[in-house]
Amino acid sequence: MRANLAHLLAAACPWLPCLPAAAAPAPLSPAAFVTQACSDCHAGGVTKGDFSLEKLDVARPGANPEAWELVVRKLRHRLMPPADEWRPDEPSYEAMIAHLETQLDEAARAAPNPGRGGTFRRLTRREYHQAIRDLLDLEVDVAALLPKDDISLGFDNITVGGLSATLMDRYLAAARKIGMLAIGRPPALPVTEVIRIPPDLTQESHFEGMPFGTRGGAAAAHVFPVDGEYEFQLRLTRDRNGRIEGRAGTYLLDLLLDGATLKRLEYTKAHDRGASDDGDQVLNARAKVRAGTRTIGAAFVQGGGAMPETEKQPNLAQFHLERHPRPRPALATITVVGPFQPAGAADSPSRRRIFGDAPSGPTDETATARRAIETLARRAFRRPVTPEDLAGPWRLYAETRRTEGFDAGIEAALRAILASPHFIFRIERDPPAVAGAAFHPVSDFELASRLSFFLWGAIPDDRLLAAAGRGDLRTPAVFDAEVRRLLDDERSASLARNFAAQWLHLVNLDTVAPDSRLFLEFDHNLRQSMRRETELLFADVLRSGASVLDLLRSSHTFLDERLARHYRIPGVHGARFRRVELPPGSHRRGLLTHASILTVTSFNNRTSPVVRGNWIVQNILGAPLRPPPPNVGDLQERTPDGRLRSIKDQVAEHRKAPACAGCHALLDPPGFALEHFDAIGQWRNHDGEHPIESAGALPDGGTFEDATSLQEAILRRPEIFAQTALEKLLVYALGRGLTAHDMPEVRRILRATRPGDYRLRDLVVEVTRSLPFQHRSRP
Amino acid sequence: MIITKKALSRRTFLRGAGAAVALPLLDSMLPAMTPLARTAAKPVPRLSYVYLPMGTNLPLWLPAEQGRLTRFSPILESLTPHLRAITVISNLDLKNAYSAGNHATANSAFLSAARAKMTEGSDFELATTIDQVAARHLGGDSLLPSLEVAMDLNSITGNCDNGYACVYQNNLSWANARTPLPPEAHPRVVFERLFGTGESPAARRAEFRKDASILDWVREDLRRLERDLGVADRSTVSDYLESVREVERRVQNAERRISDSPAPDSDRPDGVPAAFGDHAKLMFDLQVLALRGDVTRVMTFQLARELSNRSYPEIGVAEGHHTSSHHANNPVKVANLTRINTFHVSLFGHYLDRLAATPDGAGTLLDHTLILCGSGMGNPDVHNHTDLPILLAGGAAGAHRGGRHIRYAQPTPLANLHLTMMRQLGVPLGSFSDSTGVLGELNEKVL
Repeated sequence: MRANLAHLLAAACPWLPCLPAAAAPAPLSPAAFVTQACSDCHAGGVTKGDFSLEKLDVARPGANPEAWELVVRKLRHRLMPPADEWRPDEPSYEAMIAHLETQLDEAARAAPNPGRGGTFRRLTRREYHQAIRDLLDLEVDVAALLPKDDISLGFDNITVGGLSATLMDRYLAAARKIGMLAIGRPPALPVTEVIRIPPDLTQESHFEGMPFGTRGGAAAAHVFPVDGEYEFQLRLTRDRNGRIEGRAGTYLLDLLLDGATLKRLEYTKAHDRGASDDGDQVLNARAKVRAGTRTIGAAFVQGGGAMPETEKQPNLAQFHLERHPRPRPALATITVVGPFQPAGAADSPSRRRIFGDAPSGPTDETATARRAIETLARRAFRRPVTPEDLAGPWRLYAETRRTEGFDAGIEAALRAILASPHFIFRIERDPPAVAGAAFHPVSDFELASRLSFFLWGAIPDDRLLAAAGRGDLRTPAVFDAEVRRLLDDERSASLARNFAAQWLHLVNLDTVAPDSRLFLEFDHNLRQSMRRETELLFADVLRSGASVLDLLRSSHTFLDERLARHYRIPGVHGARFRRVELPPGSHRRGLLTHASILTVTSFNNRTSPVVRGNWIVQNILGAPLRPPPPNVGDLQERTPDGRLRSIKDQVAEHRKAPACAGCHALLDPPGFALEHFDAIGQWRNHDGEHPIESAGALPDGGTFEDATSLQEAILRRPEIFAQTALEKLLVYALGRGLTAHDMPEVRRILRATRPGDYRLRDLVVEVTRSLPFQHRSRP
Repeated sequence: MIITKKALSRRTFLRGAGAAVALPLLDSMLPAMTPLARTAAKPVPRLSYVYLPMGTNLPLWLPAEQGRLTRFSPILESLTPHLRAITVISNLDLKNAYSAGNHATANSAFLSAARAKMTEGSDFELATTIDQVAARHLGGDSLLPSLEVAMDLNSITGNCDNGYACVYQNNLSWANARTPLPPEAHPRVVFERLFGTGESPAARRAEFRKDASILDWVREDLRRLERDLGVADRSTVSDYLESVREVERRVQNAERRISDSPAPDSDRPDGVPAAFGDHAKLMFDLQVLALRGDVTRVMTFQLARELSNRSYPEIGVAEGHHTSSHHANNPVKVANLTRINTFHVSLFGHYLDRLAATPDGAGTLLDHTLILCGSGMGNPDVHNHTDLPILLAGGAAGAHRGGRHIRYAQPTPLANLHLTMMRQLGVPLGSFSDSTGVLGELNEKVL
């Protein structure tokens, strides 16, 4: 590396604040920057990291946006030149970045490129679920109907172009089932559906949403296809020896339908431990239920059972035979069998959705059918329908009407609509070519779908379709009003439940299983509360018009008693989640201190600073990293003479390999900042015998002591996190990875939202206004 | 607690429910779905693949003897009753599985022997897998050309392998380079795909006719779309059309095969057993049923996913599988890995037990099926794809004899075994991926 006095100074004292202000030299010119900072490794035949600037002109970066956008990103994160090489001063970094960005933005202004997502985009399984909900007022168990989606770039809505025969088969079968449920055709035989309650759910306290005076239990949406009699069977949890859990005594259970008690049942657990244990066989009830999606549940009436006279503070988790057994019985399953004596369904929410308020009469049967099929198809296809669109469903209706009657005819037409490629896929077509136009605005109906799938994860409602139909959806006032309306609608909870849950890996909580010997406190209750906290904070930041930066610095969070006790925060009682101001000394503030994130980034028996660091780099900092080289060794837990190494030493050892050092210098410090939290996010001062060392530095020089100050260090350059959040939103909104052509628009949005301190809601709105969201390139 | 059923499917509870998940019940309905008449003289060959993730502890997998086998190794010991039906083949390799994402590509190369295009996006690319090559020839008039099953109900995000989209890790079977065939893990869904939902024969016929009519219209609709689209999009539509035609064939076959006695509905498996072993056995049992009813002749089963960090408390392994697999020769971790491998193999043993206990023509299903069981990874501690743990089992209708351990002196492509198996089953195939020839040793008579 070249060495002159300024360079030596910079190397000895690399961070701006320690340079005397008066001595600051003029920033390097772009050409000088490349020569001095880049060329040794990326020019003159040297192509470190398979990257060369040799043939590229720094004066005209717009000619090679892919390469130069990567340079911008590397410089923005201060990843290049590497930390142990000579580095330009801060003004030179900023000047170089400003030059490149200005040039790249100008080139993009001259030739905008909105990109081209797939022509066919299959609804994801969750979108399908929500589409059925909105189309038919039906809550179906979609996991039993469709295979899971493949995840790409962290989201389920990227790899959605294919339609294998298996998938088509499943769509056909799903259409058959949904058709039956929606119309209310009684099944050939009574159907058995089992609602299972997670076995690691502690059922000692009252649950949110259940009647007061109850404990434990569960409730779930269930579709009753027709009016009729149904049998309900409640069964209790058993230990591995087959015995019903809990102490002997008499217990009362309430069977609940839509929150009201349908029947009170009694169960007595005998003292005799030798007898076969099937006392819960009596927990059966039959009742007449009206058709529709209803909430079926059961819970224990508080009291009952002999409470122990003295006992130490019980463990929070109580479901484990040996370590923390259940003191009282708990619900294992709710089985619904039926219908018996089906009475058909003259009326149900789904039928009202299909037929409107005018159900069929003998006189206007054909007109009713036409109206119903036309309405269903318009909503399902999310656009006005043509006679050609209706030909198939109508044919199915007519054929079936002849042999099986009116209802069966409508059901057959509905099946055809649900199996149609126009429902299964979002299809975007190219309008006739216009000379010289490299791209076009997507049609108003396509735009309506882009909006509803982004903001709701579901199909457009009638109002949004009407706006598209009037042709004024693109008028700024109408467009903004619709976006506002969609965001204010409760369906926008999808942004927290689907977008944020995937971005932040909350969905993985469903499958984490911390080692129950090490983490006695972990149960399903905690798993659910963890996820809820983060989703509620995200939803709150979105709804209240707060800055996206608040995700990392908010002084309040959302807790129920379970999670508050996990955090050792006093004064939170009961199952209801509420906003809680974080007391000083609670160690909690911001996403990086949420138990949800700390848990999904850990192994089942220990924390992983590397996984956590990688999570932060990918999801908070958005720094570009290459995957590790093949066949890197695992961490070495022990020294050659067999002593247990501290995690810090293990990782340090790993970093000695030159192939690993580059990225791990970036990954590891933020990961270690979270080491005060164990693998389920509880505070600790030691990891085994080793004291926690959590201090470190970011590549841009910001230093930190722990998780809270790491977040402060990240927020010292707020645009870094704002950009990451924005890019994740764009990927999810567009259903594709971002390219260099998208970056000028990313920067435009960041400029537009900076004055408002990057309000999350503004970021979302700006995404909907953006060039790639509104337009599409020609093939 | 308000729950959605979806969130529950994984952690379910075996006992207590009125619903049955145990399988013996399913046998009772078999007379209702008698397979097409088959002469004892000409048994139909069947093909089955079982994937074990993350290699094995090889020293305890490999039998001590080579050539004729009298004793299995510790990991394989539970298979002893079927020793005569099993060939252990060692020192096969998968050169195309070496990548930055060794777990993803161990899975994707296992049946393709192909290199996966490195991408996290939707532009993934692999190759047609060997089971799909076979399905085109062996499918005959069975209801499903192939059946893909697995054990994982939930998709996970964020931890798919370095730079490789999750499709590579999730899917063993690929219809072509761009079409992975997603496996099904829910026993009831598998059951209903195999045997329907239990209406009367007349009602089922009516349902199939409606499906056929709907598919007709879907095809018309796609054709209509095709006319309006550009060249690139048109090829997408023709892929879709191919899938639709495939489903039409299935529907036609299904309709033709409806027998006049309805399959009873009440005993279909309702839930997902809580214990991994019970779930796996149920999935194996469903595969046996599928073969027995001649619903399909080609199956793939992913017993667990690569990178799975499932712990196995039921066999005393509290540490995750992936963590244990990076054992660095730490004896505790090696022991854990061995236990997991042994447990997985014992589940495969259950499958062989059931196949051997199921009469088929003049013999048993085991006599007429060819089964490849193994992993796309050798030593998981170093992520290699050499000296893969591979078992070949079953009589393949006379084409395969076991009781041997064939060890190659030089690493030999797994593709050679794929090719050899096709020859054994009479599937015409000149070469497959990086194959260099057939494994002649497999055809040698046993001493």
